[in-house]
Amino acid sequence: MALEFDILLQVLFWGLYAGCIYILLATGLNLIFGVMKIVNFAHGELLMLGAYITATVFALSGLNPYAIILLTMIVLGLIGIVIERLCFRPILGTGKLNEIFLSLGLIYVFQNGVALIWGDERQVLNSPYQTVTVPVGAIQLPLDYIIIIIFTVLILCGLYLLLRKTDLGRAIRATSQNRKGAMIVGIDVERMDMICFGIGSGLAAAAGTLWVVSGQVFNPYIGSIPAIKAFSIIILGGLGSIPGAIVGGLLYGIAENGAAYFLGGIWKDSISFLILIIVLIFRPTGLFGESRE
Amino acid sequence: MKHATTVSILLAALVLAAVLLAGCAQQQAQPQDLKMGAVVSLTGAGSNVGKHMKQSAELAVSEINAKGGVFVKAYNKKLPITLIVADDETKPDSGVKAVTKLTSEDNVDILVGGWSSAVTIATLGIVAEKKVPYVVTGASSPDVTRKTDVDKSYVFHYCPTTAMYGQYTTLFIDQVMRPAINEKFGFADSRPMRVAILYQDSAYGKGVLNGVISTITTGNLKMDIVSNQSFKLGEADFRTALTAVKAAKPDVIYAAAFPVEQTQIVVQARRDVNLNTIVLAVETNDNPDYYKGIARFGEYSVIESRFSPYTAPKSSVATADARFKADYVAKYGSFPDMMGVSTYEGVYVAAQAIENAGTLEKTAVRDALAGIRMPQKVEAIKDGFITFSPDYREVQFELFVSQLFWDEQAGECRPRIVWPDNLKETGFVLPDWYQAGTG
Repeated sequence: MALEFDILLQVLFWGLYAGCIYILLATGLNLIFGVMKIVNFAHGELLMLGAYITATVFALSGLNPYAIILLTMIVLGLIGIVIERLCFRPILGTGKLNEIFLSLGLIYVFQNGVALIWGDERQVLNSPYQTVTVPVGAIQLPLDYIIIIIFTVLILCGLYLLLRKTDLGRAIRATSQNRKGAMIVGIDVERMDMICFGIGSGLAAAAGTLWVVSGQVFNPYIGSIPAIKAFSIIILGGLGSIPGAIVGGLLYGIAENGAAYFLGGIWKDSISFLILIIVLIFRPTGLFGESRE
Repeated sequence: MKHATTVSILLAALVLAAVLLAGCAQQQAQPQDLKMGAVVSLTGAGSNVGKHMKQSAELAVSEINAKGGVFVKAYNKKLPITLIVADDETKPDSGVKAVTKLTSEDNVDILVGGWSSAVTIATLGIVAEKKVPYVVTGASSPDVTRKTDVDKSYVFHYCPTTAMYGQYTTLFIDQVMRPAINEKFGFADSRPMRVAILYQDSAYGKGVLNGVISTITTGNLKMDIVSNQSFKLGEADFRTALTAVKAAKPDVIYAAAFPVEQTQIVVQARRDVNLNTIVLAVETNDNPDYYKGIARFGEYSVIESRFSPYTAPKSSVATADARFKADYVAKYGSFPDMMGVSTYEGVYVAAQAIENAGTLEKTAVRDALAGIRMPQKVEAIKDGFITFSPDYREVQFELFVSQLFWDEQAGECRPRIVWPDNLKETGFVLPDWYQAGTG
């Protein structure tokens, strides 16, 4: 089969879209890990919660779902702060096993809670732009996906400005680099933990909103696979490295869709982990990871 | 003399007591109900179908119990059915747990249901071990009764297999779609039809793929499979797979998918990938949620079926079809789906077999199922009678193919039967936006 350029462009585009979801999820996870050094397996459930909050607000208000993204991020940010304060802070430093089991418990709490409130049937949200396409060369690209890519870039730019150009961002980076050093210079590291968990949860919420706006099916159990992929992305990109999460997320999105196109759909999930194994063989700390990590 | 009288009285009392005790024991041994286990997918990828299967089973049970239940000759009375529903979660391991619970803890007399082929096949080892008759009403892989890895003699396949409807749909493509496309585009009759297959990577999906390939080969049909793309069960993102299909330039796409998957395939094909072709669906998708989910993107798509919530063949079952729908809507406030009616009938088949057997003894019930001959209920059966084939315990259903047309009033697509000729309501239509593939 001759490889037509427009077909490849379309596959690349789907990869970019998938990459956006992974980038937002993995960046949030990396932010949390970078500062708190904790493993939160329930991060995918925050994406799921973001999806449900978006869908619910949309159903109740009729607002443009893209306009709801900020609200969803704020709500999940607050939820994230509560989770950090009530769940993770008490066990910080008591051992990785505690963190793991706590987050596993949170997975079931969130999944069953959502199933109880919203039911567990698969749902879909129809974007107001679902029939709108934009011609790019010989192909017609759905407007929704272009908006999703733009939103992802905007969110990442916002995160960059926060981390690089604000005092808060400097404090977060300091805490991430050297927690004790940050305490010595007077940074309230517990406040940094709370803020980062909130921001990380907000990024997961953004991923959830963009997930449903693209017409993806959602139910209480959609968070598991993206969470596993987000973890492998942060390992691939380097633990605590936000550029690594961005590159890793893009790589995964494009690789998955490329594998699905060239090898078949059943390879879609496998290829991600194959890439991880290959990268780790040659670079054990990940693409952007530092050896001390 | 006085002594003899005392002994006589004592003996009479003993005899009377023995008789009374024997009567009590016999009453305790008599069951008070007939336990029927329903294996349905209430959660997971099959949840929207499982809901209809459960509700339909409950409707059938309530109808039977309204008449007193099932007459069991061994007890000389009617036994009401107690329906025990177990959720297989559309997962093989959960299916095994569900069937184990039904057969070991609940001690059901018979099983009905089973939707996902992969899940159902996983449970058949338990069925064989416990020797419980099972009327499978949803899982369509021929392996349900044909694969001989375990004893399948207690399993009865009350739905068409993937081979059957795969063949039927392929013949529709050949006999209806191909001439229509050739006529519209001026293609020669010698031009092979370009078929793309998008199938779930499971016994079900592979069964459909094999059914199509087999039909093309044995019938020497002018068809080329230009693309076959597999996807994992529960997949929600088909954009890349559909892009690969688009690259192959098909005339038609035949998707072997569950309703939650099929909905996304149809929507993403038309909305996201701009695949201006006809998508065919398997009968399990004839479900109200499917029509709602595909919205207008499903206009002119095609579905093979044997029961539809929104149309009915004008045949001997038309009245029964209408009555069932009316009863279902009255009880549940929504229309039933194809898997629901299959399970509804499965309950009646199971009940009739027990009545024919005259006992709840499982081997006798199995034999009664094997020899059953009862009039069709709601779905049309070949020759009008429900019988299981002697070799693989399968039933021959009368199938039909519908095309979906937009209904402004309903705000959804609605099916109209386009094949076979003796049942068709309207002719097959190729829409203006349709683009044939080019080799």
